[in-house]
Amino acid sequence: MSTHDEIRAFDVATLAAKLRVKQISPVEVTDAYLDRIEKTDGRLRAYITVTAETARAAAKKAETEISAGNWRGPFHGVPIALKDLCYTRGIRTTGGSKILGDFVPDFDCTLWARLAAAGAILLGKLNLHEFASGATSTNPHWGTCHNPYNLDRVPGGSSGGSGAAIVARSAAATIGTDTGGSIRIPAAFCGCVGLKQTWSRVSRYGVLPLADSLDHAGPMTRTVRDAALMLNVIAGRDPNDATSSREPVPDYVGACEREIKGLRIGVVKELTAGLADEVARSFNAALVQLRSLGADVTEVSIPAIEHAAAIATNITWAEAAEYHEQWMRTRPQDYGADVRRMLEAAMLVPAAHYVRAQRARAVLLAQALAALDKCAVLVAPTSAIPAPRIDVGSRALMPTGEAVNMVTAVLRFTAPFNVTGQPALALPTGLAADGLPVSMQVIGKPFDEPAVFQVAAAYEAARGPLPEPKL
Amino acid sequence: MARLTPGTVKTLAQELYDYRLADDAAASVAHMIGAMAAHSRRLQNLGLAGLQPPFGYPTLVAEANRCRRRE
Repeated sequence: MSTHDEIRAFDVATLAAKLRVKQISPVEVTDAYLDRIEKTDGRLRAYITVTAETARAAAKKAETEISAGNWRGPFHGVPIALKDLCYTRGIRTTGGSKILGDFVPDFDCTLWARLAAAGAILLGKLNLHEFASGATSTNPHWGTCHNPYNLDRVPGGSSGGSGAAIVARSAAATIGTDTGGSIRIPAAFCGCVGLKQTWSRVSRYGVLPLADSLDHAGPMTRTVRDAALMLNVIAGRDPNDATSSREPVPDYVGACEREIKGLRIGVVKELTAGLADEVARSFNAALVQLRSLGADVTEVSIPAIEHAAAIATNITWAEAAEYHEQWMRTRPQDYGADVRRMLEAAMLVPAAHYVRAQRARAVLLAQALAALDKCAVLVAPTSAIPAPRIDVGSRALMPTGEAVNMVTAVLRFTAPFNVTGQPALALPTGLAADGLPVSMQVIGKPFDEPAVFQVAAAYEAARGPLPEPKL
Repeated sequence: MARLTPGTVKTLAQELYDYRLADDAAASVAHMIGAMAAHSRRLQNLGLAGLQPPFGYPTLVAEANRCRRRE
């Protein structure tokens, strides 16, 4: 018997090992997490819906199966939660909106179907920026989501609840989505691992879209290895998603074991300017750490990256406008003010500009691939700043003292890899002086998630654990 | 930067979408769209001639087949 605190201290890999040998039961684990949600979520607002009864029933079923020797794999009996963009059969799926406040899908999105088949237990549906259309997760319909390290700070977005729940230990692993940085930004601000894998690597069937050609759904976890475990469950071809890839799914977990001695790592020059001092210090310390592990760290350049945020915004607006047009005509008053304003502008993006932005993606990817010709992966900060205060709204103070749109402050670092579709994993590099997490991205070649995991896991092991937030 | 006035964007929203844009929203949207248009013009300097947009034919065929299965 372990205490709830002990149970929640285990990452998925550790939890799986203990569940497999019946050292702990899925019922204990699920109770530990439900207890945590009850005690912390009034302050965090990470959840929109908690599915306590179905979670307990699933835990009992998992306990019976494991006791009978039918262990299904590392997620069997592990309590997880999904961003509330993911369709769950019979369970409300709001998209963080008032418009879909009562929407109950009649099928599961593919990634949840795969996790459920692997034995995962659903704790509930997580808060987000309305319709994934912003980077704060300050949600006017379902409550403001808070950063576990400092409740006055944003958790980032749009997958703010997914990041907050991981760090607050109110879920063992979560799913987020990322169109311009919405997995990696909350991973950076909350201090967890967030993976936006190669576009098309994971099915988007049954995941509410923001912009189909840039959308990704992926893991948010406590460790790099947990992200690898989760990707091994959810990756792969899905006949229901015509854009999902037929590329074979390799062993991602095994990649986490490899050394990085002799590996060349490229620092993206254009993404090292304009950083807050504490972000720059932490990133430079991470580079020193990578060198100490034997990596050859060198500078690379992707000049077209300056256009990435504009390309991503143009595409996102055009595709989002098409998806939301009907509701914008009939229920504009039911959107939050910031999302409504974005969609009002989005409706007027010229088609020619949309197509041009799509064509420009090839130029950016070509330059990124050229940078990767001699490097296994690239690295860059995930954001120029740590988590801003909730009360500054969508503005953020840059190191120069200039107040800029929060999306702009972070999108510059994350959106390039939505535009190129490359895998990019955010992981913490430490805590700043004010106790807020700061983060680095590891970016790979398309479908080379193993190299991303290899470098991120080696760095994470050398970095050591982060102090926990005091909630 | 493109010179869009609040009045122009109000008219466009009304005529294209039957959507009534409030006055304060129109000023903000005019600014946002103007800035976006300026960025878009700059993208022409990237040498895009001959590059195809990434809309793949296999996706089109697969989606057509999915439509047929739905019928």
